[in-house]
Amino acid sequence: MADWQIDLIKVVFIWTWALLIAVVMTWVERRASAMMQDRVGPNRAGPFGLLQPLADGIKLFTKEDIIPKRARKILFILGPPLFAIPAFSTYAVVPFGDKIVIGGKEIILQVSDVNIGFLYILALSAIAVYGMVIGGWASNSKYSILGGLRATAQLISYEIPMGLALLTIVLLYGTFSLREIVLQQQGTFLGVLPNWGFFKQPLGFIIFLVAAYAEANRVPFDLPECESELVTGYHTEYGSMRLGLYLFGEYVNLGTLAAVTVSLFFGGWGLPYIDMSKFLGPISYGIASFLVFFVKQAFFLFLFVWVRWTVPRFRYDQLMGLGWKALIPLGLINLFITALLVQLTV
Amino acid sequence: MSGFETIVMYLGMSLLVILAMLGASALLGPSRPSPQKATTFECGVPLLDPSHKRYSVKYYLVAVLFLIFDLETVLLYPLAVQYKALATLGWGIFFEIFIFVFVLLVGLLYAIKKGAIDW
Repeated sequence: MADWQIDLIKVVFIWTWALLIAVVMTWVERRASAMMQDRVGPNRAGPFGLLQPLADGIKLFTKEDIIPKRARKILFILGPPLFAIPAFSTYAVVPFGDKIVIGGKEIILQVSDVNIGFLYILALSAIAVYGMVIGGWASNSKYSILGGLRATAQLISYEIPMGLALLTIVLLYGTFSLREIVLQQQGTFLGVLPNWGFFKQPLGFIIFLVAAYAEANRVPFDLPECESELVTGYHTEYGSMRLGLYLFGEYVNLGTLAAVTVSLFFGGWGLPYIDMSKFLGPISYGIASFLVFFVKQAFFLFLFVWVRWTVPRFRYDQLMGLGWKALIPLGLINLFITALLVQLTV
Repeated sequence: MSGFETIVMYLGMSLLVILAMLGASALLGPSRPSPQKATTFECGVPLLDPSHKRYSVKYYLVAVLFLIFDLETVLLYPLAVQYKALATLGWGIFFEIFIFVFVLLVGLLYAIKKGAIDW
């Protein structure tokens, strides 16, 4: 097979896989929420309600597409794709596994190992803000505009602590390639701990995780779309698949954030203390590394649901206060400490 | 191969599938327009006043502060990639980062003190 054919297969497979994780996540979220609240949850469509996401998808496809009379038409149409395209495309640089050898050809389990993988993720997540603010503004409804404004202020505020936390990771590993960073995390640290970013950057991890919840608009930072105040926030006026793109985009974002957390702080596809490549064949090693990555990612996806039913929602001034008065100074100090440690150990 | 062709392929796939989804929903959904459906949502009452009015200046202030700090992060990225190599040459690079971060920290404290972030 030619290289471009392999690339095409990888693109289609990972794209579908990302969508599948997002779709199953909508089911997991509702079932786990029900479990935590001592309810049953969706259980009518298919065994354990597993076909519920499919039913929701069909419903969204067959709904009437309404554009409100007072909406700004072009911007209203532009909003959802502008949010969804960056959300879906971020997976392109996530390393989903080590490598697999098929027919004597070594294939890296990552769509593309570009040397600016990091910047690609940051850039795309910044573009997604436009989708929200344009959608909110174009709807010309008070709830949408307030939701859009809140989303913008929140996302840009938390982009800074996130950028600072990622900066310390770059400082530590000296590369922008996610695959390189995962490769540097194999082995052990100080003799006993796994050589993971989490143990080298505990403060950076906490800052990153808090900022990730704010970036994904999740509880406790779901102010742009809090139901009791703003109906659903910036997508109040949307319906049919336009609404679907916003909702799916958010779940795909969750998957991406979980994947980035795993690759930066939890050793990606590697198991601690065990080198799988030593006793597994070339094909089974590829599959095993893919599965290890998926299990770690699934844990962080479940953490999103877990936190949702554990922590109450912040007030808006508390949210901004946490971002600007706690996380950014902490991030700057963490950067300073990391620079000092790297200088001392070089 | 630098890998950017694959990224372009991936972006193209996102664009195609999302346009196909929107197209399919336009084809499959019914179209029965009525003036009632096209009204703006306002909790069941008739629309009171236009929604595009002036909003709190705090949002814009946050945007201005964001520009400063995001630019700072962007400026630090090239330094961070090369940090390990430069650190072997001595302590100069460390003091550069220290002064850069310190000035920003003082700026942030000033903004907090002035109440730029109090809502």
